[in-house]
Amino acid sequence: MAECVRLDSSTSSHTMDKSITLPPDEIFRNLENAKRFAIDIGGSLTKLAYYSTVQHKVAKVRSFDHATKEAASDKLYEISVQEEVTARLHFIKFENAYIETCLDFIKDHLVNTDTKVIKATGGGAHKFKELIERKLGLKVDKEDEMTCLIKGCNFVLRNIPHEAFVYAKHADSEFRFQTTQPDIFPYLLVNIGSGVSIVKVESEDKFERIGGSSIGGGTFWGLGALLTKTKRFDELLQLASKGQHTSVDMLVKDIYGGSYGSLGLTGDLIASSFGKSATADKEFSKEDMAKSLLHMISNDIGQLACLYAKLHNLSRVYFGGFFIRGHPVTMHTITYSINFFTKARPQLSVFISFSLINGEVQALFLRHEGYLGAIGAFLKGAEEDNPNQYSWGENYAGSSGLMSVSPDMNPMQRARSGTFDMLEMDRLERQLVNLPLLQDPSSYIPDTMDLTEDALAREYWLYCFEEALDGVVKRAVASQPDMPEAAQRAEKFRQKYRHKLQTLRQQPFAYGSLTVRSLLDTREHCLNEFNFPDPYSKIKQKENDMALKYYQKAVKSLEELSWEQRQFALVRGVLAGNVFDWGAKAVSDVLESDPEFGFEEAKRQLEERPWLVDSYDQWFERLKGPPHKCALFFVDNSGVDIILGVMPFVRELLSRGTEVVLASNSGPALNDVTNGELQILTERIAAMDPVIHRLDKVLAMVVRERQTDLVIIEGMGRAIHTNYYAMLSCESLKMAVIKNSWLADRLGGKLFSVVFKYEVPAGKPSQHSAALSPL
Amino acid sequence: YNVHSGTEISHTMDKSITLPPDEIFRNLENAKRFAIDIGGSLTKLAYYSTVQHKVAKVRSFDHATKVNRDDKLYEISVQEEVTARLHFIKFENAYIETCLDFIKDHLVNTDTKVIKATGGGAHKFKELIERKLGLKVDKEDEMTCLIKGCNFVLRNIPHEAFVYAKHADSEFRFQTTQPDIFPYLLVNIGSGVSIVKVESEDKFERIGGSSIGGGTFWGLGALLTKTKRFDELLQLASKGQHTSVDMLVKDIYGGSYGSLGLTGDLIASSFGKSATADKEFSKEDMAKSLLHMISNDIGQLACLYAKLHNLSRVYFGGFFIRGHPVTMHTITYSINFFTKGEVQALFLRHEGYLGAIGAFLKGAEEDNPNQYSWGENYAGSSGLMSVSPDMNPMQRARSGTFDMLEMDRLERQLVNLPLLQDPSSYIPDTMDLTEDALAREYWLYCFEEALDGVVKRAVASQPDMPEAAQRAEKFRQKYRHKLQTLRQQPL
Repeated sequence: MAECVRLDSSTSSHTMDKSITLPPDEIFRNLENAKRFAIDIGGSLTKLAYYSTVQHKVAKVRSFDHATKEAASDKLYEISVQEEVTARLHFIKFENAYIETCLDFIKDHLVNTDTKVIKATGGGAHKFKELIERKLGLKVDKEDEMTCLIKGCNFVLRNIPHEAFVYAKHADSEFRFQTTQPDIFPYLLVNIGSGVSIVKVESEDKFERIGGSSIGGGTFWGLGALLTKTKRFDELLQLASKGQHTSVDMLVKDIYGGSYGSLGLTGDLIASSFGKSATADKEFSKEDMAKSLLHMISNDIGQLACLYAKLHNLSRVYFGGFFIRGHPVTMHTITYSINFFTKARPQLSVFISFSLINGEVQALFLRHEGYLGAIGAFLKGAEEDNPNQYSWGENYAGSSGLMSVSPDMNPMQRARSGTFDMLEMDRLERQLVNLPLLQDPSSYIPDTMDLTEDALAREYWLYCFEEALDGVVKRAVASQPDMPEAAQRAEKFRQKYRHKLQTLRQQPFAYGSLTVRSLLDTREHCLNEFNFPDPYSKIKQKENDMALKYYQKAVKSLEELSWEQRQFALVRGVLAGNVFDWGAKAVSDVLESDPEFGFEEAKRQLEERPWLVDSYDQWFERLKGPPHKCALFFVDNSGVDIILGVMPFVRELLSRGTEVVLASNSGPALNDVTNGELQILTERIAAMDPVIHRLDKVLAMVVRERQTDLVIIEGMGRAIHTNYYAMLSCESLKMAVIKNSWLADRLGGKLFSVVFKYEVPAGKPSQHSAALSPL
Repeated sequence: YNVHSGTEISHTMDKSITLPPDEIFRNLENAKRFAIDIGGSLTKLAYYSTVQHKVAKVRSFDHATKVNRDDKLYEISVQEEVTARLHFIKFENAYIETCLDFIKDHLVNTDTKVIKATGGGAHKFKELIERKLGLKVDKEDEMTCLIKGCNFVLRNIPHEAFVYAKHADSEFRFQTTQPDIFPYLLVNIGSGVSIVKVESEDKFERIGGSSIGGGTFWGLGALLTKTKRFDELLQLASKGQHTSVDMLVKDIYGGSYGSLGLTGDLIASSFGKSATADKEFSKEDMAKSLLHMISNDIGQLACLYAKLHNLSRVYFGGFFIRGHPVTMHTITYSINFFTKGEVQALFLRHEGYLGAIGAFLKGAEEDNPNQYSWGENYAGSSGLMSVSPDMNPMQRARSGTFDMLEMDRLERQLVNLPLLQDPSSYIPDTMDLTEDALAREYWLYCFEEALDGVVKRAVASQPDMPEAAQRAEKFRQKYRHKLQTLRQQPL
């Protein structure tokens, strides 16, 4: 198996060429410990799913035993790299033409002999059963197609952020992604395969096919083939995208000479699909007929979907199936049709009354729609592993992303996307839930700025991340001084991440909404992929050690201030500490050139009041009131930030009688303090400072148990890029220093401008008026 | 007099035919209030006339003064009476010019200044009508006319609505006229589909529609089969097998899809087989598949709208339906499939006249036609043709040429006897001869047998009139012809 590797060529697929060779490590990854295979064979595409475990390196910190080795080292903790095993789900999609080659490849690389069964679904499961059993030596176990589809749909809606999107052809951003909702039910799934199935999904296990239609993708294909003599589905769509339906369709104005006002029908409305071909003796172009056919079918399905949605009081309608599958033309016509039948027609009083109750019916599409069946079949087979119990995250490094398949824009990429396409999901260590303190979890959108919708911001951030790449690579190599091949791996990382950035520049919506957060996540996924679990571990260690030396001195000088002065100094301390951030380019330049850049210097750099966003006075007034019961503090960076900025602030809260829960990242991200590091730091500070003691519990539980009434969010990442607009059900304090001149500009500030946002939720009386004297 | 003659009509635009004036455009001499509905292929003309006819009156003798003069209790006299009559005539657009000329020649009532017009063609033929008739064309909203006409026939014509059942003993099952006709859903299948909810005489709303209608069947059918005539397309469809073109559930799953309750014979994808099969498909099969696709779709939409609006009566009309058993069958099938019997697909005997009736009513509003009861004049109306192409190709063609409906104003408005327990379920006739073939045979035989006697009586009743025998003979011929028609087409 060597010959020619043609993964992303524009030839592909239709030649039934079995001689292609697959680059094993790029597509069918981790086959050596794969298990729980599932396959979904459709009319033209095969989707394969399996479960594997991935070994990867994680950086761990371990406290030195200070009792015995006090003098041995200056270091607070040691860093070690350990192997960890993560569960990963792999989903691969390829054209049926490659099925035999793929099966051969899998057979060759499958070493896990425990696997006896492969779950199969889809119309083709039936047809290829014998081939699969013979090639793989596995027993094919067929699963119900609709059940798999629904199971898969529930899974992606629950687990993949920005899975669902609204399509808007003429908007600034073609795709508008929906935030993941905690409550996904009930919804309507309209699956447009050869025919149409309309399924109402009420819960994980309860769904019902409430309707369907024989006018579906097969009708477009079949009638299209008869009318245009074009046998390929994609070519028919291509024809349709170039045609004019008005030469074939009879419009309202063709009958009435204009609009039919009394019925509210505009002149351009199609009165009769193909109505002109009934009597005209001319020849019609293939393009025009294909377009008319597409309109006819999309409108019909859209109308049926709307009617069923209304009959069953459902406002969320997801469309899937091969007719839709990433085809902008069909997404556009379906969306148009849904909009038409719901809101564009005020004279339809029934629709208005419905939309008043339920909100409008929205046509939603899914990024991973093609994988639903395979995911569902896999889940059926993996039920004993309880995959629904965990949270799964899309691995941006291993997933292909959504392609812009507009035939005009990217014919090449369309071909590629049609060949091999991958989705990988990693099991997250713990289930992710929304913070219980959010005012309205269903409307919570963490990211402040959607870069898919903001071209200027996107340009800027992509540029930033690309600029910073060299630095990250350097850090990564430096973090593993003992490993000679680190440079080589770092280079591979550089290439992969740069490629992702380039993809995102062309197709910003490839992984859902593009945000600063997703760019950071993508970088972490890529770093992990090449075994750089924490490139900043050494730097963080050095900074933590250094900062810790000044802790007591800092606390002492604060205690000498008056109460009033101290409150302000504490806030300035947190803000100054937050300047120490390797993620921000303006700062990493200074830090690298001048490692002595000190805390005091940072304070001097801070903007003078009034700050860009300044609610310090309200905060100060609040402090005069009774203490909070419990504060939840989301911390940001290692070193000066956490130790000299945050800890003294926390200390003050504690002395007021407020319990404090510190929340930090579970995994590394630049110089953010990780949970492991934070635990050691707190322990160490607690040892020096009796005011500080440690908490360690599952956050969400703690928050509820302690009746948290103050949330403090620190740093650009959590307080500005995300959560800036997040409304909490208790008081909140968002503090950050803007260490990015572009962002500062956007927000109307300048470099090192301060955001200090103190908010009390509406309806909650602020408590400071109750107690006028300081405690 | 070539009107009833045959299959070759309309498309030749032959203007040389002559119309038998007294048989089609009757009573033109005192006609007024013209209305015209010009559709894509058929023109419907409506007018109002008054008919003089003889009525037999009885008068009591004045017994006080003339007691002994005569033994007779009362005397009989024949008097002339004038009745209002509505005339509706339908003919192919090809004849429109000839018809207009004819009307002009016979129109003596100079009071008429205006002709109400509706339908898509009103627009196109406006200038021609104004020039030919010298009347001003006054356009009326198509949908309003349609609904007005529909309300009128539902209220006035007994057994107007019927259910179609292809395989039942009687193809048509008529519904009794209901005092309360509202609310109902009207699905008008012309080139496209309009779905209208009618709540009262004056309140209706187009709640939906679809671009997949009769024009789609015709247009796509023409492209697929190179057959340009609508009727021929239907004929093709009636001979085809849709299963060779459509992908059935069993073609995908090898049988039924039990867990979803889909039977193996259900169409999964219309034209699904033509997507990948490399063979040629027959015109008949493609036409059949297309007919199923469109009928099912309309049926489904109608059902969904009916359910959304809680309506159980759904009337279908428009040229796609107009007396075509094939389309009535597929629509009925689709409705039954989607509603499992909850909603009935109803068709109308005079569906083709609705627009013309409505336009006429708009023009006659000052005469308050809705205030009276009108009865179908069986002598002057053509009746519904059994248009199954296999059965009666000749009559189908005839029906497409000239077709008439005449309604006489009844002296007083008919209402149900207030003592009826449930007026809405009251069916006056004990036996429906359309559903009972043996009884029908018997009674038709009876009436024919009795005809000679009736003719004899008729002549004897007018001993003073020498031409009575001749008129009686004309009556015999006409009634016998009606009886023969009814034997062949009981409906």
